[in-house]
Amino acid sequence: MFEYALSVMIFLPILAGLALLLMPFSKGGARVAGFIVSVVVLFLGIELFIGFSGAGPMEYVESRPWIESLGISYSLGVDGISLLVLMAGSILFPMVFSLFAPRSKGYYGNLLIAQGAMVGAICATDLVLFYIFWEIMLLPIFFMIGLYGGPNRLPATLKITLYTIAGSLLMLAGIVYVGVSYHSQFGEWTFDIVQLSRLNLGGGFAILAFLMFMIAFAIKIPLFPFHTWLPDAYTEAPSSTTFVLSAIMAKIGVYGVIRFVVPVFEVEFARFAILFSLAGVTGMMYCGLAAIAQKDMKRLLAFSSASHMGIIALGVFCMNVQALTGSLFQIAAHATSTGVLFLFIGLMEERMQTRNIADLGGIAYRAPIFATFFAIAMLASVGLPGTSGFIGEFLIILGAIKFNAFIGFLAGTSLIIGVCYMLWMFQRVFFEKSNDRTEDFKDLNVTEALTFLPVILLILAMGIFPQPFIKKIEPTAQLQIAQVTASTQSQLADKTVLSSDHNTQKN
Amino acid sequence: MNDFLSLLPLIIIGSGAILLMLVSAFEKWRMETASYIGMGFIAAAFFMQLFVTNIGETVLFKTIFNGMLVSSSFTTTAGLIILACGFFTVMNTNTYFRVNIFSTLEFYPILMFALCGMLLLTMSQELITAFIAIEIMSLAIYILVGYDRSSITGTEAILKYLMLGAFAGAFFAMGTALIYGGVGSTKFAAIGAYYATHPANTPLLIGGAFFILVAFFFKIAAFPFHAWVIDVYDGATTPVTGLMATALKAAVFTVFANFLAINSGMHGSWMTFLFYVAVFTMFGGNLIAIGQNNLKRMLAASGIVHSGYLLIALVAISSDNFTGSVIGYYLAAYAAGTLGMFAALSYLGGEGEKRKTFEDFKGLAKVRPYSAAAITVFLLSMAGIPPTAGFMGKFYIITSAITAGQTVLAVLGIVSSILSMWYYLRLIIAMYFHDAAESFETKGSFFATASTFILVFCVFAIGIYPIVI
Repeated sequence: MFEYALSVMIFLPILAGLALLLMPFSKGGARVAGFIVSVVVLFLGIELFIGFSGAGPMEYVESRPWIESLGISYSLGVDGISLLVLMAGSILFPMVFSLFAPRSKGYYGNLLIAQGAMVGAICATDLVLFYIFWEIMLLPIFFMIGLYGGPNRLPATLKITLYTIAGSLLMLAGIVYVGVSYHSQFGEWTFDIVQLSRLNLGGGFAILAFLMFMIAFAIKIPLFPFHTWLPDAYTEAPSSTTFVLSAIMAKIGVYGVIRFVVPVFEVEFARFAILFSLAGVTGMMYCGLAAIAQKDMKRLLAFSSASHMGIIALGVFCMNVQALTGSLFQIAAHATSTGVLFLFIGLMEERMQTRNIADLGGIAYRAPIFATFFAIAMLASVGLPGTSGFIGEFLIILGAIKFNAFIGFLAGTSLIIGVCYMLWMFQRVFFEKSNDRTEDFKDLNVTEALTFLPVILLILAMGIFPQPFIKKIEPTAQLQIAQVTASTQSQLADKTVLSSDHNTQKN
Repeated sequence: MNDFLSLLPLIIIGSGAILLMLVSAFEKWRMETASYIGMGFIAAAFFMQLFVTNIGETVLFKTIFNGMLVSSSFTTTAGLIILACGFFTVMNTNTYFRVNIFSTLEFYPILMFALCGMLLLTMSQELITAFIAIEIMSLAIYILVGYDRSSITGTEAILKYLMLGAFAGAFFAMGTALIYGGVGSTKFAAIGAYYATHPANTPLLIGGAFFILVAFFFKIAAFPFHAWVIDVYDGATTPVTGLMATALKAAVFTVFANFLAINSGMHGSWMTFLFYVAVFTMFGGNLIAIGQNNLKRMLAASGIVHSGYLLIALVAISSDNFTGSVIGYYLAAYAAGTLGMFAALSYLGGEGEKRKTFEDFKGLAKVRPYSAAAITVFLLSMAGIPPTAGFMGKFYIITSAITAGQTVLAVLGIVSSILSMWYYLRLIIAMYFHDAAESFETKGSFFATASTFILVFCVFAIGIYPIVI
């Protein structure tokens, strides 16, 4: 039965979403239908996680040819790299349906389509298939922000759409380049990533294609300096959409780099790693500093999310097992902490009709459970020991120092900025004096508390017992790093010999 | 026998057109009846063409026609596209003419003569046949463009199109004459053979090839012969514009590709020229499209851009094993999307095409969600977003370009499609993110609506199940 688990996880939400869009449903009915579908996906996800052996190679593989003349196939699979991203995409979704006042059926339909496409992008092991899901993913986001967003939604929608489409169309050229290179080197067409990793690319076009891939993913992550769409889109989107964007979609950007860019472009990746890791660190600092200055809570969190995505990206660019494992772990940790914070903000906005930090205060006295949950998620987000955030960030910084001490130092320093703005915001919103607005702030009701409780427990569990998670992702991370190191070193060795020859001639 | 079968779709359409022409003499027949008869003949021809697809490459009536006509999988595919476009156009006109009453029965036979010319054009392997086919097609289209005599824009459109089209025809005839002077034959194969043995370009050949390319560029609206498209598409009645944008382009591109593919010497020597024409066509078209406020004008300009993409495929043609699959697939994908847009405009446009600008379609999604969704699908297909047919088409074109070593052209094509997102998104935004100012009531039959939704299905079907490749 679980042979087709991945296909079900992709197409059940998509079909359900289309059905919601096309057929008449009441608001409540759409919400219940969406909730049921997302819970089914959740159980499939948990089952998959338990059944996942973590030996290294792909599991739950599905593969059948689709367009044979170009070697495009419908192939899916999960390994240690995609496992936790997939979990983020499948486990967190029911929360979106159970919280907040009901919206129109179109909104829930779009949410479901977004989930299906995201799961598809995470599971696809064929580049073209990945690209297709990657593009489908954007459409529901476009409509969710444009139709249901805040007052300035139109510019925000245009910004995110044009940015991401520009990036992904460039990536399309890169994908085709990779496929054609494989065809010319091995004489057959394929877009399967396992086959493509045998490619031996070089020259100016390879660097161009590499940069095209990287720009597409950098826009999605978003990596400095491609982050400018983020504050507007995150702020104007409905809170549950912001949650989806921050908790899952941004992660697919990082995941894409690990899955598709690193195996194909080992040499280029190694060459540009320092540049990109600097971009990651700069983004961390810049967005962190920008977050301090924000007056709007959601905008503050948007910058904070971007800042933390910087460290996750940094972990990928460091190219060692610790940092990569840390990044993969932090993907899940960030989804459960920073992502979930957006849901809290959404609840506050629904209750207070404002997100302005200056208008709030003293909520902790009125709503102790809300404040406690918020505090745990926030502390995980800043990386307090005992929470999930600590493990990931610790591993990444460890790896970063191994990679380059200076970058590691900068990354460690910029974490302090994160603590600054978060705690300061927490103090202003939850402590200090309450005003007439916050006077009658209602605490979490039973449904809401039950929705958040599993995630809060997960944050603590991942912080205290990280081993079950790390155990499943580390073998694949080691495999990946071993592969990259082997091929870069052989190629670098070639290069070194060549250049020394050159030198001797000169001398 | 196979020769006859391959020609049968053409014969069916031709005899149907003549029959309808005779019937038109009777005043009592109604427009709808004529449209049903037209649909019947086109559908019959379509299924005949579908049956012929399996036959493979044949030279039709070699002894009688002296190898002037060749039927291959590429030409039958193009024939299928053209006939399907004709069928949907007749469906659209059925609805359109119930609201805009100016047409007479002769409209349908003329439309079928145009289809006849197009089918003949796809099969022609010889310059004079191609010239005759182009003229049959063009004369019929001229009449269709100017059918509404009371419309001022229509009259302007036919005047411009006729004048410039006559020039293009003259260029084609001149080019044929020069090539004949240089080569001693007008057959594509003979020209190709001559090029292969005589690599040195004589002035006659350069001049002849140049004139023929100019005529083709004019018909497909490539830079710098694209300026007429905007006014002509705008002035023509909506269903006719749809036919011009899809079937006509498919026919001309098919013969253009056949002409270049067999003629690798000429293709090689004009490669750089084609490269720049493709680039300028894409970017020139985008530049025009971004500034448009009128939907038909925007679609005309986006048609120019798509011609540019098809030119990329022409640059990347390899003569060794030419199957035309890339071009055929892109033509089908483009036709489904564009014709869908015109089908939707045919019934949403209303009386006297009163809804025509971006503003007029504001809030469509609030009132008619299904129509708005259909238009969105067409626009996404034209923009090349998966999982629609347009994406697969673009994917094949880029793949063929990079395989042929034209990486720069492929990247420029991508940049151009990023630019084109702007005007496609603009309509989606207008439809979805604004409130409706009017009720979007439509009159007339359900045929145009039906063809819109069939085409939505086609867009996905062609994209997800790419049968041609």
